[in-house]
Amino acid sequence: MPDRLSFYLKKNSIIHALNPFTKLTLVFAIVTYGLIGAGFWTATILVCLALLPLAFTARLLKEYLGVAVKLILPTAGFMFVMQSIFIPGGTTEIFRLGSISIELETVQRSYLIASRIFLFISAFALLLLTTHPSELMTNLTQRGLPPQFAYVIISTLQIIPQMQAKSLTIIAAQRSRGLDTESSFIKRIGLLVPLVGPLVFGSLVEVEERAIAIEARGFTSTHKKTYLHEVPDTNLDRAIRTILIALIIVAVVWRVWPS
Amino acid sequence: MKIEISKLEFTYPGGVQALRGVSLEIEPGEQVAIVGQNGAGKTTLAKHLNGLLKPTSGSIHIGDWDTREQSVSKLAQRVGYVFQNPDEQLFSKDVGTEVAFGPRNLGFSGEQVQGLVNDALMLTELSDKTDTNPYDLSPTWRKMVAIASVIAMDTEIVIFDEPTTGQDAANIARIANVIKVLRERGKTVITITHDIDFCAENFERVIAMSQGKILLDGKANDVLGEEEILATTYVDPPQLTRLGKRLGFKETVRNEKEFLAILTKQGHG
Repeated sequence: MPDRLSFYLKKNSIIHALNPFTKLTLVFAIVTYGLIGAGFWTATILVCLALLPLAFTARLLKEYLGVAVKLILPTAGFMFVMQSIFIPGGTTEIFRLGSISIELETVQRSYLIASRIFLFISAFALLLLTTHPSELMTNLTQRGLPPQFAYVIISTLQIIPQMQAKSLTIIAAQRSRGLDTESSFIKRIGLLVPLVGPLVFGSLVEVEERAIAIEARGFTSTHKKTYLHEVPDTNLDRAIRTILIALIIVAVVWRVWPS
Repeated sequence: MKIEISKLEFTYPGGVQALRGVSLEIEPGEQVAIVGQNGAGKTTLAKHLNGLLKPTSGSIHIGDWDTREQSVSKLAQRVGYVFQNPDEQLFSKDVGTEVAFGPRNLGFSGEQVQGLVNDALMLTELSDKTDTNPYDLSPTWRKMVAIASVIAMDTEIVIFDEPTTGQDAANIARIANVIKVLRERGKTVITITHDIDFCAENFERVIAMSQGKILLDGKANDVLGEEEILATTYVDPPQLTRLGKRLGFKETVRNEKEFLAILTKQGHG
């Protein structure tokens, strides 16, 4: 059974202590710079000079690299390879694979796209690694995000491990009824119904129960809500956010200014 | 079919040691109830019997099969396992198809499957609900569908995991009847339960577990009489048993019949 609700890893670091909104602003700033940064290496430089030091400060360098290598690199790498091979348009041929020619310009453009994707996903990964999802959502709700929206995010995060546990039980129950799950691939496709059926039906029933349970606790009450858990927002947070927002404005203005 | 468990130990991947040396023999046709507090290892033990879990050390034999050498789907020919929550296994559009799923997997012929399904539906009083969608039934009847779907597999050994939890009196009586019929047919029935009255009324042999070990194992009357030992695994003997003790009965009683018999005898004596 999975023992973690989300990416979040509790560590005692200055990054963890920051207000979630500050970290969200930081991610936004990094994404902005990655997108409008003119240079070919902007995204790569941002990963090396912003994300890696941040991960190190958060004492999560190893975990961050783990996520990057296992999850993000394959995605970005796959895109890079496919785009390099199949998107035509370049003029400088590097080498030829049968009838497909690989051009320098395409490879460069693919690298730009792939490195940006790598940057965006890993920036968010870092946010999720250092921020408890409930804290993030509580904070955003306090800042005016509709609670329904927060609920959707939080409950999704909570349902996934529950569904995993449940699917293991279902597999066990059906194997106990003689279902052979160790057979060939073709045969296994036919097994989907007995395995997915109970998962879907059960989850639908649960959704209704959840809705009733939260309603019974006044979820849609129109009174002003108070919070049991206050998310700290320090002067440091506000200062960092101001700087980040200034940086974003500078970047955007510099980019759109007619030169 | 005889069950032999020898020095069974099991540690979950997370490091929790759930079974710490369990040795046990269950003769063919025995009716056994396993009781004990949450986390005592009851379900872990039961899941070893049909191979869902494989021993960390020690062994389990079902007849001449070593569970370590057989797949779960193969062991399903000999051991039926009724899971606690029926919603975790029901998927068919009607009760008849659902109940036929197990015997089909086991490779019975079409005719045999039909016979087994009819018999299981009769036994669980579902015959008039064959064409109903299981999810249109109440939770208590869904439980009966889950039970029928295992009975229809016609295994020598049937395991019930918490069969009475959340069930009303009428359904508990139905489940007790199923167990009675299985006994008459010579099947081995093993039931994990917190329902001590259900245990006292329907089982001849009771095993009490605590912290991955067997605490008591014997005739129901002997085990249920050990009030102090049972208390260490948070099991209260049935009310009549306790009342009998307070009244100074020499023998342990566990149902009305036994209780009244002694009372009448004393009254006349």
